[in-house]
Amino acid sequence: MVVYRCEDSLESIFTAIYRTYEEKRNHGDTVLSLTDDPLLFAEDVAVVPDEDKARRVMDTLKRRFGMRDYSYLCMALASEDEEKAQAVYRTVVSGLRSGCREGHLFDNLADRDIHKAFSLARNVSTEIGHQKQFLRFQELERGLLYSRIGPKYDILVFLMPHFADRLNIENFVIYDEKRCLFGVHPACGEWYLFRSEEAERAFEPALSEQEMSYQELFRQFCLAITIKERRNQKLQKGMLPLRFREYMVEFQRV
Amino acid sequence: MEYLMAGQGMSLTDKLRILTDAAKYDVACTSSGVERKGDGKSIGSCVAAGICHSFSGDGRCIALLKILLTNECAFDCKYCRNRNSSDIPRATFSPEEICTLTMEFYRRNYIEGLFLSSGVLRNPTFTMELICRTVWLLRNKYRFNGYVHVKAIPGAAPEVIQRTGYLVDRMSVNLELPTREGLQALAPNKHRKTILTPMRQIQNGIMENKNEVALYRNAPRFVTGGQSTQMIVGATPESDYQIISVAQGLYQKFGLKRVFYSAFVNVTGDKCLPALPGGPPLLREHRLYQADWLLRFYGFRAEELLDEKRPFFNVLLDPKEDWAVRHLGEFPVEINRAPLEQLLRVPGIGVKSARRIVAARRSGSLSFADLKKIGVVLKRALYFITCSGRMMYPVKMEENYIVRGLTDQKSRVRLGSDGMSYRQMTLFDDMGFAGPVSPAERLETAVGQL
Repeated sequence: MVVYRCEDSLESIFTAIYRTYEEKRNHGDTVLSLTDDPLLFAEDVAVVPDEDKARRVMDTLKRRFGMRDYSYLCMALASEDEEKAQAVYRTVVSGLRSGCREGHLFDNLADRDIHKAFSLARNVSTEIGHQKQFLRFQELERGLLYSRIGPKYDILVFLMPHFADRLNIENFVIYDEKRCLFGVHPACGEWYLFRSEEAERAFEPALSEQEMSYQELFRQFCLAITIKERRNQKLQKGMLPLRFREYMVEFQRV
Repeated sequence: MEYLMAGQGMSLTDKLRILTDAAKYDVACTSSGVERKGDGKSIGSCVAAGICHSFSGDGRCIALLKILLTNECAFDCKYCRNRNSSDIPRATFSPEEICTLTMEFYRRNYIEGLFLSSGVLRNPTFTMELICRTVWLLRNKYRFNGYVHVKAIPGAAPEVIQRTGYLVDRMSVNLELPTREGLQALAPNKHRKTILTPMRQIQNGIMENKNEVALYRNAPRFVTGGQSTQMIVGATPESDYQIISVAQGLYQKFGLKRVFYSAFVNVTGDKCLPALPGGPPLLREHRLYQADWLLRFYGFRAEELLDEKRPFFNVLLDPKEDWAVRHLGEFPVEINRAPLEQLLRVPGIGVKSARRIVAARRSGSLSFADLKKIGVVLKRALYFITCSGRMMYPVKMEENYIVRGLTDQKSRVRLGSDGMSYRQMTLFDDMGFAGPVSPAERLETAVGQL
């Protein structure tokens, strides 16, 4: 058995997949591992991330499986499961082997690994959906929009295109406080991410003059729209889990 | 255009409160059906699946800024809080106020767009003109590219409705009550004809526009998200059968995207209206939505679900289970061979899982364990399916037995914690058998998003 030891990054995992093919490994007997747990009788291979190799894997995946399934694979890799690399690797191998058509990579859900990769991706995609729903911007001085989020998975990179398209003419920043990651979008420009440990320390943004009044207006709106005769907090909690409320203006008490 | 503004000098907060409160009984709050990327010059985009930005205390979604332009109304519909004989505070937004609110809420990701309805100010055409002007401002001066849903006011001049249609994503005319008699009794100023005329006009507009767009790619788009309507359930004595037959007719003859059902809440206390001591008929509304789904995505017809002899839905079973136990001759269905249409009729199998079954069985035959992975709700499906010729457990194909299994937890076939093995019931049995509804299912039924 051969074990490829990767880091938890797209580049590293895709490099490992490239190398399993380059080195003509027996895919049934090869494992991609993100941990250092030793395996008996296994040959360890350390993976050094290589941009070129990763790029070539990405191109192949996009070409063979289509953009939708490719982004699903990326989402699976954004989850926090230790076996995600292995599940994605096995899925890719069986997809390439069976020569499946575009958009049919995840068809065979009866397969253990495909199902695993699929359900990881689905969890991440649900979280992305939730953030698109529940993320809130605050207006800072000079019209900058700022949002603080605490998502379950590392999904900022999937979130930015959505908001960059929607709020193209705005300057905005999304801050993932769990990962100290900033997504920055200059008006009419290209967005980028950067990581900063320092900024996390008590960043108290100065709000614009009218910000509080719009927050209050929205709170009033949410109260007024509720039909008392239909009150159903359980349903509300099911649709809007409590963990998001800390970040949402309509649930803040003033 | 000059018009008298009620509540002039009232603060924006008060206006918003009054006009939201007045709009809340309108159900349609989806932002679905339109996919539109940002254009780089304006603010906003649309996502086909729709996005709900919040959920209010009643569990309904908040996707759009749902407000009335004014709650002044010339009409006197008995079920409506804004009827002209009711003594409530009145307010009117100026078009600029609506635009600013929409833009500022949208930038902060509070909402997906605007839902604008209105009481009838002076006359229908005048009101429609105001709505049109507001949306024109929003689109052209404020450069808003997000979702806009407006009401077509019954009785408004066709020309204004047409003009408005080119500015919005969805338009709706409320049918309010499913039958002519009901409408006559409760809404003396509305007539079936004035409701159906704009509906037909919008339908034709959408059809013609499709041809235009096919010919000229840059032709302006007309109501791309389709039109919807809403019916009040429980204010008049119509049966469920009548209601879903009307809904089916609307889908087929008027090409509607959605029909919404609104459990009647007695807010006016009018003596013609039923008192509802048990609260609004929420279960009935829920069953109607379930049936509506069956009509649109599962290939059922209204006549299959109900008929003259049994015009109401079963309280205990959902419409699909109810249909299945009355048609046991069609079951069990073999998972590995049955066509998609047949799989869709099995309780516990939804559209997604049916598609997944069809895709997955190309690679090999499926077992019950595989079905569980795919997302089939086995505790409901097990009575109606076989995998490679075998049922999951020995099950009697007998109506009473199955109904008991589907409704009564105690006599339900015992499932182990993995949902697969079946085990002896013990005295200390306290496992949660009342399998929870999945969040996805809840989303679909409760919110009506698709």
